Amino acid sequence: MAEPIVEMRHITKRFPGIVANDDVSLSVNRGEIFAVLGENGAGKSTLVSMLFGMYEPDEGEIYVRGKLEHINSPRYATQLSIGMVHQEFRLVSNYTVTENIILGLEPEKKLFGLFPYVDIKKANHDIAELSERYKLKINPEDVIENLNVASRQRVEILKMLYREAEILIFDEPTAVLTPQEIESFLQIIEGLRGSGKTIILITHKLNEIKAVADRCAILNRGKLIDILDVPSTSTDEMARLMVGHEVSFTTPKTPAKFGDTVLKAENMSVKNPSGYEAVKSVSFSIHSGEVFAVAGVSGNGQNELADAIAGLVSCSGGRITLNGRDITNASVRDRIEAGAAYIPEDRHNVGLVLDFTLRDNFPLRRYYSDKFSRKGVLNDAAFNEYGRHLQENYDIRSGQGMATITRSMSGGNQQKAIIAREIDMKTPLIIFMQPTRGLDIGAVMNVRKQIIAERDRGAAVLLISLDLDEIMDCADTIAVIYNGSISKIAPAGELTVDDIGLYMMGVGKTA
Amino acid sequence: MRKFLLSCLAIIISLLFGALILWLMGKDPIAAYTNLLQGSGLMHKARYAGRQSMFTDFMSFIDAMTPMIFASLSVAIALKGGFFNIGVSGQMMAAGFVAHMLSLAVPSKILVIVAGIIAGAVLGALMGWLKYKFNVNEVVTSIMFNSIIMYLVTFYINTFYINPVSRQSKSIIDTARLTLSGYRWENLKVDIALAFPLAVAVALLLQWFLERTTYGYEIKAVGLSPKAAQYAGMNVNRISLLTMTISGALGGLAGVAYFCGYLASIQPGTTPSMGFDAIAVSLLGGNNPAGCVLASFLITIISKGSIYMSSRQHIEPEIASLITAFILTFAACSAVLSRKGKK
Repeated sequence: MAEPIVEMRHITKRFPGIVANDDVSLSVNRGEIFAVLGENGAGKSTLVSMLFGMYEPDEGEIYVRGKLEHINSPRYATQLSIGMVHQEFRLVSNYTVTENIILGLEPEKKLFGLFPYVDIKKANHDIAELSERYKLKINPEDVIENLNVASRQRVEILKMLYREAEILIFDEPTAVLTPQEIESFLQIIEGLRGSGKTIILITHKLNEIKAVADRCAILNRGKLIDILDVPSTSTDEMARLMVGHEVSFTTPKTPAKFGDTVLKAENMSVKNPSGYEAVKSVSFSIHSGEVFAVAGVSGNGQNELADAIAGLVSCSGGRITLNGRDITNASVRDRIEAGAAYIPEDRHNVGLVLDFTLRDNFPLRRYYSDKFSRKGVLNDAAFNEYGRHLQENYDIRSGQGMATITRSMSGGNQQKAIIAREIDMKTPLIIFMQPTRGLDIGAVMNVRKQIIAERDRGAAVLLISLDLDEIMDCADTIAVIYNGSISKIAPAGELTVDDIGLYMMGVGKTA
Repeated sequence: MRKFLLSCLAIIISLLFGALILWLMGKDPIAAYTNLLQGSGLMHKARYAGRQSMFTDFMSFIDAMTPMIFASLSVAIALKGGFFNIGVSGQMMAAGFVAHMLSLAVPSKILVIVAGIIAGAVLGALMGWLKYKFNVNEVVTSIMFNSIIMYLVTFYINTFYINPVSRQSKSIIDTARLTLSGYRWENLKVDIALAFPLAVAVALLLQWFLERTTYGYEIKAVGLSPKAAQYAGMNVNRISLLTMTISGALGGLAGVAYFCGYLASIQPGTTPSMGFDAIAVSLLGGNNPAGCVLASFLITIISKGSIYMSSRQHIEPEIASLITAFILTFAACSAVLSRKGKK
């Protein structure tokens, strides 16, 4: 009979404005691979972060090896033999593998019995042995910055093993790996299970769970939906449970009336700063009066796709045309002029100058135009009037009116300000990137209504979202992006949530 | 408003610290601070030497304050645009040197000013260019340039241009000097800083430039958030280059106002500490051009008045630098505080 090593009972964790975990109870058995599955924002990371002592639960209890524990720090979690590999690796990039691993636990020797120094030889030896035992294929003397992502991940695993962790937590371990690397990663964790470790795996990739996990907990909006026995459950069933809940509300919407093609991407490719091809030869076109929605799991090339169309990064191949004009190499400003509005995902660092007043943020993308300046001198009256116009028409609330420093406004109102600014340009193309992330329900509804309204005005709308509800709610055409390629494009009515879920996981039939 | 109060607080705390140190040294802080004001021509001294009065002291004070205004404006606009220009000293020295050399061929005040602007601007632009072309941090380049310029100028002066008596460079010819030194007025000998009206005008112009022009809007946007500036369709590299060019030009103006005005010669082997004091002044002035003029006024009281203070109280004049250093520290703290206050 399986023996529980970790038990979480009635865990509730609240953050301002949201309940991240709502009365979640689960237990993990010694020596199993336990997966936690859920959409973005379902509360997976929060749940396991509490196990690693990064947060403390507001309610509920955690038992480790049958004993009630208050895990108040990662340090204490380490003492309990719990280790975690975070999404962002925590390595010193100009140190060697060994130096990183022993950091904080350096084996000491004394020179002439007096001067302490780090016994790096012994450490190198120990780590080589450890690497050998778990088949991790890591040279302890390599410097981190020369290693690829998969090797760095293995260093993180070694770090946990060196600290004699028995319960290993992985937060989205495969998000940054290539398919081949994923394959070998899965072999590694199976090997770890074979040597008696317990593994908790956070992911939203179903095929990985199917391949290695023993059991799987499904979370949705903070609530535990079910705990499944993986071998006896189909991936379709898991996908349905993960995303297939009743849609909580819908946006009223008339049938779309497509007009001419506005945006056309042909074999467009984009490289990310590290040279990896994040968008691979993608082709699609968007018509006037169409909401073209791109669904996909985070980090499959969505950011690069949106930035490349808006001109913030350049394409490494292919062609983009806007209303028949080739804009592949046009500057950001040319694209604004040509009629591409963009609501970026990062509203704090990209969409707004946070330390500007609200008034100064409104004309951020058009301050140079005749309306707002003459011969290089800003037109104060136009700034004021435009600010008043947007604030009234788009219901943007701020403490001190237009003189409010944007930083001090709520996230919802900041987003309203960006959307107001972009929509008000009445451009033929509007790109919405994750427009409702972090907003409350009322604001979400409002944004979706605006998306539909823009479509009805005749704009071509590119909506990129991680939220499947949003996609189902707004889209006329749905494209699914997986690993930088669009794996499926179909009219919204032809795809069910389950279909999309499968394409998002890369397990759907190829288009 | 909050910023202004924090700046005042920084000054008050610094003066209290200075007073504490003076008191520990067994001196009378109030007398010492009074001497600072007297030395700056803001209070009457007990007696004056021939052809001198409070008015002549005040005019010398203005003469000393003029380069400080330019230097602090140089730091301020760089900070607005997201750069930390600690190379003002080097820009000053280079500009002063170039102007000196040119004045040997064509002795003209206008030429001195133009040469200063160009020399400083070229240096500033070079730093901006290195930043965006090779991503070299401007703090590093500006510190390095300070040394390079100082040694080059020192070498040239010591070899070709030394005044063997004063161990300084030869003096600039009066027709090219930006200060009318020892001008006879009534029965007084007055130093008139001809560049002072220019300094005030430049400060006002810069205030208008930053607040009311598209370039100012761009510089501030780039300084606060380069990513948002790029998203706004601004050419971030070009704007950074512009910012550093203007900053360098102002540093150059500071240089000619200092080496071809307040002083008539260049001392080899050292960079002017004004380039660093200017950072304190700029922070104290909230990186705001008008604030810089006010802060220059205050800091110059301390530096200019310290000579009189040290002779009256038998205190090392370095105590003034100490108070300035306190102000820099507290002004830097208040810059952080004011950011926190915004959330």
